[in-house]
Amino acid sequence: MQQLQVTDLHVEFGGLRAVDGLTFNVEEGEILCLLGPNGAGKSTTLDLICGKTQPTGGSIRLNGTEISQMLEFHRARLGIGRKFQVPSVYKDLTVAENLSVAISKRPGIWSALSRFALSDVREAGAILERVDLSSKSNELAGNLSHGETQWLEIAMLIAQDSKVILMDEPTAGMTIQETERTAEIFRSLSASHTLIVVEHDMSFVRTVADRIIVMNRGAMLAEGSIEEIESNEDVKTAYLGH
Amino acid sequence: MTSKFHYDLIALVIFAIVIAFGVPALMNYDGFELNTFARYLALAIASMALALSWGTAGLLNLGQAATFGMGSYAMAMHLKLRASDGLPDFMGWNNVSELPLIWVPFESLAFTLLAGLLIPAFIGGLTAVFMFRARIAGVFVAIITLAFLVAFQLLVINQQGMTGGQNGLTGLAQLSLPGWTVDPYSTGFYYLVAGCLTVALAIGVYLTHSKFGLILRAIREDADRTRFFGYNVATYQTAIFCLSAALAGWAGMLYTMVLEFASPTYMGVSFSLAIVIWCAVGGRESVIAAALGAIIVNMLEGRLSDVFVEGWHLMLGVIFVLVVMFMPRGIYGVITETAKRLHHPKRRHRKTDLQSSSTKQLETGQES
Ligand SMILES: Nc1ncnc2c1ncn2[C@@H]1O[C@H](COP(=O)(O)OP(=O)(O)OP(=O)(O)O)[C@@H](O)[C@H]1O
Ligand SMILES: [Mg+2]
Repeated sequence: MQQLQVTDLHVEFGGLRAVDGLTFNVEEGEILCLLGPNGAGKSTTLDLICGKTQPTGGSIRLNGTEISQMLEFHRARLGIGRKFQVPSVYKDLTVAENLSVAISKRPGIWSALSRFALSDVREAGAILERVDLSSKSNELAGNLSHGETQWLEIAMLIAQDSKVILMDEPTAGMTIQETERTAEIFRSLSASHTLIVVEHDMSFVRTVADRIIVMNRGAMLAEGSIEEIESNEDVKTAYLGH
Repeated sequence: MTSKFHYDLIALVIFAIVIAFGVPALMNYDGFELNTFARYLALAIASMALALSWGTAGLLNLGQAATFGMGSYAMAMHLKLRASDGLPDFMGWNNVSELPLIWVPFESLAFTLLAGLLIPAFIGGLTAVFMFRARIAGVFVAIITLAFLVAFQLLVINQQGMTGGQNGLTGLAQLSLPGWTVDPYSTGFYYLVAGCLTVALAIGVYLTHSKFGLILRAIREDADRTRFFGYNVATYQTAIFCLSAALAGWAGMLYTMVLEFASPTYMGVSFSLAIVIWCAVGGRESVIAAALGAIIVNMLEGRLSDVFVEGWHLMLGVIFVLVVMFMPRGIYGVITETAKRLHHPKRRHRKTDLQSSSTKQLETGQES
């Protein structure tokens, strides 16, 4: 089933066409990797899907529902989760508190008023274990290393449990072992989630991607499996041309 | 729950015991002194209410005095009607011949008590909806609430026939509850105010440790990030504004009972800024600390303003500047940081390391 349908998407920033007529679909349970040189419009594409940026044209459908004009928190409630390129966790909150914020199946104030700050986290202890942060659950997120911060945000997205998860450069700053571990986590996530992953690390992409889209100057340059992409002449020139 | 919650509960219990037993004993149950202290306790409610919106949610409400004033006038209107045969005296002096419609329901005590909470909550909520739907944040919240305060005070002063204008509402009756006429110089009244403060603090402690309080802290740090988790940030901000306004209204009602009059100076800019100072001195992150801040500053004011009649406001300003510069988290910050240092003497050392490069962070992380 097509979970996400992006059709003829456009956005301009003062004359710069950051995304220019982009069309693609994502299947349920698929891991789609977005590649492309710096400034290709990968992060902007994710911004448009999650509602951080409003498109100047085109349509975005989630399970058939048009979401491109919705406010970001409505899209989140419908099942879009986002990890940002610059790790965005709450530095003044502890690891456990960060996770509790992310557990947002009931985002209304009445539900929030009727439970303690960490009531939900106890059920989610396994998630911290998975990213090796259980020993730091009372640590302020601001005291974590860069790699740990990346993992905390990944843990938050697992806890948020969105249908469609948008990951912007999740392995940046991670060691090789950490990257491998992340690939494993992503593969297991794809059993019940759909992922769009922006990534520069080709060995990571090789392990996780079901399909790859290469972007250049806001448009799609190539689409296909890893072998198809690696042998594509246009892709080679786009990367070398930069 | 968390250890922080335990500490707050212990602090609340100690605080309640001190104001219930310690303070009255220290004052030899003297009616006049207890009345003075009850005044501080009423102001402490206004201060802890500000801590909820400013400390927890990061919304600096400079219009706190407006909602305080609404509560204060609600109570004063009721007590004025109780003190008058028919039309309140000042209305006659202003050529008002018939009781204005909005005064009529204040004959009822139940209505008055509800109005003293709900009118501030409603007005606070209205301002909040207007601001937060438009995603106004930061210093603009302070400017808008300050502008609202100034406009509201002007309105109250100008409607002389209805509000007593510059003179406020004086010559009030004592509140009569079923079976109890509340004398503001009695021990019973002191306990009424102390009880109200304790309940308000318990509500505040629960709110800050609930998931609601957690989401507010998340919003304070990064409102946009919080929206991407599906939270309607404007609703949360509006809710805490309403709650804070209702608590301020509650404080205002008690304040009128303590002083036995209501004055438009309660809605003044300098009073509103004073609340900010109490809250900052105590520590805006904790409702108990903010309440303490109000009590401490007002006790100082009580002692020092007799001695330095002219200089007191200057001194208050200097205290504020010093607090902002040297203890930005207030007394609360000093206490928690000291406690942390005693618990983990090595912590300081690690913190400085964390400021260096990220590779260094990894190394120190493995060391410890
Ligand atoms: N809010 C904005 N305002 C103006 N220009 C923007 C904005 N966001 C992105 N851009 C521009 O749009 C283009 C695409 O940026 P984008 O961040 O999507 O690239 P990217 O593919 O994610 O690159 P990278 O690999 O460096 O992260 C860039 O030229 C960028 O400067
Ligand atoms: Mg990017």
